[in-house]
Formats: sequence, structure tokens, C-alpha cells
Amino acid sequence: MIVSFLFLAFIVMMLIGVPIGVAMGLAGSAAIALANADTQWFGLMAVPQNFFAGLGKYPLLAIPMFVLVGSIFERSGVALRLVNFAGAIVGRGPGMLPLVAIAVAMFLGGISGSGPATAAAVGGVMIAAMARAGYPAAFSASVVGAAASIDILIPPSIAFIVYSVMVPGASVPAMFAAGMVPGIMVGLALMVPTVWLARRHGMGKHEQELGRPPFWTSLREASWALAAPVLILGGMRAGWFTPTEAAVVAVFYGLFIGMVIYRTIKVRDLFVILRESGELSAIILVVVALAGIFAYSLSTLSVIDPIARAIVHSGLGEFGVLALLMLLLIFVGMFLDGVSIFLIFIPLLLPVAKFFQWDLVWFGVLLTLTVAMGQFTPPIAVNLMVSCRIAGVRMEETVRWVLWLLAALMCVTLLVIVFPELALWLPRRLGY
Amino acid sequence: MTDSSPEELAAANPAAQDEKTVVPLKIEDWLTVIVMALLALITFANVLVRYFTSQSFAWTEEISVFLMIVLALVAGSAAVARNRNIRIEYFAENGSPARQRALARFGALMVFVLFVLMAILSSRMVYDDIRYGETSPGIGVPAWWYSIWLPIMSVAIAGRALGLYIRRGRRA
Repeated sequence: MIVSFLFLAFIVMMLIGVPIGVAMGLAGSAAIALANADTQWFGLMAVPQNFFAGLGKYPLLAIPMFVLVGSIFERSGVALRLVNFAGAIVGRGPGMLPLVAIAVAMFLGGISGSGPATAAAVGGVMIAAMARAGYPAAFSASVVGAAASIDILIPPSIAFIVYSVMVPGASVPAMFAAGMVPGIMVGLALMVPTVWLARRHGMGKHEQELGRPPFWTSLREASWALAAPVLILGGMRAGWFTPTEAAVVAVFYGLFIGMVIYRTIKVRDLFVILRESGELSAIILVVVALAGIFAYSLSTLSVIDPIARAIVHSGLGEFGVLALLMLLLIFVGMFLDGVSIFLIFIPLLLPVAKFFQWDLVWFGVLLTLTVAMGQFTPPIAVNLMVSCRIAGVRMEETVRWVLWLLAALMCVTLLVIVFPELALWLPRRLGY
Repeated sequence: MTDSSPEELAAANPAAQDEKTVVPLKIEDWLTVIVMALLALITFANVLVRYFTSQSFAWTEEISVFLMIVLALVAGSAAVARNRNIRIEYFAENGSPARQRALARFGALMVFVLFVLMAILSSRMVYDDIRYGETSPGIGVPAWWYSIWLPIMSVAIAGRALGLYIRRGRRA
């Protein structure tokens, strides 16, 4: 009874637009009170305690720092230099500009931890250039939106940080390493339909006229940006920094590039950068904290085990369950961002994963792949929304292009399911 | 009311105009900027100190985590006023303007209810912290130095939610 009340209240509140965190907090508090009706204060003292406990974890500190990194690099002019450099390598020709957009998005994914920031940085540079070169705006928006979704797979990634805070045994460095190979594969997989579509529909006719940037000049200008992922990922690998420290080193490195080298960030901009990234981090952290209340209510009511048992004994078998979970998450991913999905579903999915003895690092990569898919699946797609706004197109117009890109991502997901080593090889090799 | 997802707004439209509020949002904004800057500086100092002296301040961890909680509450308060929390917009932003307004008000009201509840319960938690003389695990300072901010900021967030509720009712 209480359980169905909890879920019903939660789902209804979420659907009608109550903030996700608040829906979780209220449903959780109500369920705790109903379950402890005869104790002092209805057992509700657990509410503020779990709010604190949900937030008071050191690894979470990496979230505001990586959001800050994203915000700084978005304004630092790094994207433009990378685009020029990539253009100098691949040259000009049909399909080459969108290819560059994907490559640069992957590269920026190795610096920032947030997809929409990457979509904004790459979209701001690429979408206008692609329009001049004769690519339809809807196509450009689709490519940028999809490419930015790789961001949550390529380390550093905020979704991975949240996952590893929730799942004991999947450390942040292990998750970061595990996302690397699938992330690069997704990038390459997106390039195939992109170039093919561009050639087939005769897009980019004017690309030749743009001229090829000189190789050595653009390499020199891009070198500061090229060094950033080396510093972040290499520094973590070498054991110089924890993920949080790597983020903060990247913050100061990005400020140095932006303020001293490229001179794109003024002292005045620091206020906006700090405020924007602080608010965005808080939005994520508040959901994390309130999800702690929800998770506590689930565990005191002991509802997770029966549901997990029902899923496990549904007779679908291991792969049937996995397929169903992924379909569910793709669907949910169309409405919700990755962090919220993890906070809601991981408490439920963890026992299932443990029953089938799935590797939790691999499982995390799979979940993230599905969430990435949701992030550019219309009608509600966080990254696509950003790139559509920059391109000035409605999201419906992108559907005919986005479907191809989704198919590419789907192929990679299937490969990771069939060959778990794609995710697990690198973390084992690095000894995490 | 074309509020989109918070991340998107932050990324694509940093100069979005704020609605007028009775209590200026500058308060939260300045606190946010200060706390973010402090977090970055403390963590960076920690890296430098460890690099040069191969010692680390374990105690900075407790302060950093505390500052992060403050950040979540303070900037979260501004996010409530700007109505930028993560939500499913699909149903809330379709349908007649009257329905949209009603749902927006309901959302704000729920934020208000939750944080009033949080303010009451966490005041009791602070009272317990003081009464039993709890100390923090890392540095050993009184625990209420940290926990006192939860009721204070909960009241602030509830106030922001109330403000949003009133503003959403006013706009035709």
C-alpha cells in the first residue's frame, strides 16, 4: 500500500513538472512518515540526515569542478582552434566539416564533463561554418547534438562520477577508463553515417571555397588545447591527482589559456563563469541530495528486493532482462538527464545486476551508452535542444538525420554487450 | 514560460534576463561566486602543497565538502527563483496557458512544502547537535557549525519558491 503510494505520488509529480529532486524528496518523506506512524516525529529526522549524507561525499566535489572546467573551456576559444587544426588535417570536401565537428566534440569531451557545454562550444563554432559551406541547418544541429552526447562516455564525465558514488566497487578512475574505448568507438561510428549522408545528399558544396587552414600555424595555435586532456587524463593516470584535483588543475589551466594565451576571457567574465557553473552544479547536487531521501525510504520499506526478485524471476533470462532494461532507459532518457536517471534507477537495478553477476563497471558503461542515446532522441533531448537553438531549427526537422546517428550508437551498444572486453580491457590494463 | 532544461539554458543562453524579485538575487549570486572560487582555490592549494611538501591537509576535505553543501543550498536557492531545476517539461509546457500556469504554480508550491518541512526537521537536528555536543569527525569542531546552514538555507529556498509561486500567479 505504502509502496504503491510512494511510486504513484512520485510518478504523477514528476510528470506534471514538479522538479525531479523535489518529487523524490516529498515522496520519500511521505513514505517514511507513513511507515513510521507510531514513532517519534514519524521517523522524519531521517530526512535532513539523509540530505546531508547524500551530499557529504568527497568524490562529489568533482562535479562542481568539472562543470567549472566545461564553462571555462566553452568560453576560452579552444573549440575554434581545434576546429582549424582538424580542418588542416582532413582538408576540405563533402562531409569533412561535420567530421571535424564530431572529432572536436570528442576531444572537448576529454576536457569537460558536461554534454550541453560541449554542444554549445562546438555548435557555436561549427553550425555557422557548416551553414556557409552548404549543409542544411537541421543536419548540422543533429550532428553536433549527437556528437556532444559522447561527452558523458569520454572521461571526465559527471554521469560516471555519480555512478561510482552510488555503486561500491566501481571507482571513478575505473569508470573513466572503461568509458574511453566505447566513447571513441561511438565517435567513429557517428562519423560513418555523417559522411555518407553528406555525400549522398550532396551537402557541403561550398566547402572547398573555405580554404584549408595552414597546418603548422593551426597546430601551434591548437597545441595549448591539445595538451589539456593529456594533463587531465595523464595526470590522473600517473597518480598525480585524484579526479577532483585533476578537475581543479584543468580549471586553472583553462583560465591560463583563456586569459593569458588566447585572451578570450576577461576578469569581468569570471563572475558569470563562476555563477553559471555554481548554479548548474547546485542543480545537480540538490537532486543528488534529495535522491538520498528517496533511496533511504526505498531501503527502509524494503521494496527493492521484491521488485528486483520479480525482475530476476520474470523468466526472460539474462539477455531478455538486459534488453528490456535498456529499452526502458532509452525511453526514460528521452525525458530526463543522465544524472537523474542514475539516481532513480540504480538502487533498483543494482540488485538485478548483482544477481546476474554482471560486471558493475561494464554495466555502468552500458547504462551510460543508453542514456547518451536518450540525450539526442527527439522530442526531448538535452543536447539536441542546445544545438537546435544555435542552428535555429525545430527539433522535428532533425529526425530524418538523427535516426541514422542513433542507429550508429545502437551498433556500438550492441558491440559492448556482446564483447564486454571493449569496456573492461582498459581499466584492467591500467590496474584499476 | 519557455524555460528549458537548466543545463541547456546555462550553456546556450548565459545572459537570460532574470525576472524581478523582491529580495535581490545578487545575494545568492555573490555567495555562489565566492564559494565556487573558494572551492577551486582550496583544492588547488591542496594539490600544490602536496606536490611541494608531500604532505596533505586532510582537514581541507571536511571544509571542501561543507562548502559544497553550502554551494548546493545557496546556488540551489537562486535556481529555484530562476525556475531552473531539472524537471520533465513535456507535459507542463504543453496545453492551455491556464494549465501551464497552474502546473507551474503547483511545482513551486511543492518546492515550498518540501523546504518548509526540511527547515522544521533540520532545526530539530541542529538542536540535537547542540544538546548532545556532537563534533565533526574530521576537525572536531561542533557539528552544529555545519548543520545550522541547512535550516537557514531551507527557509531561504522556501521563500524563493513562495516568490516564484506568487509571480507565476500574477502573470496573465
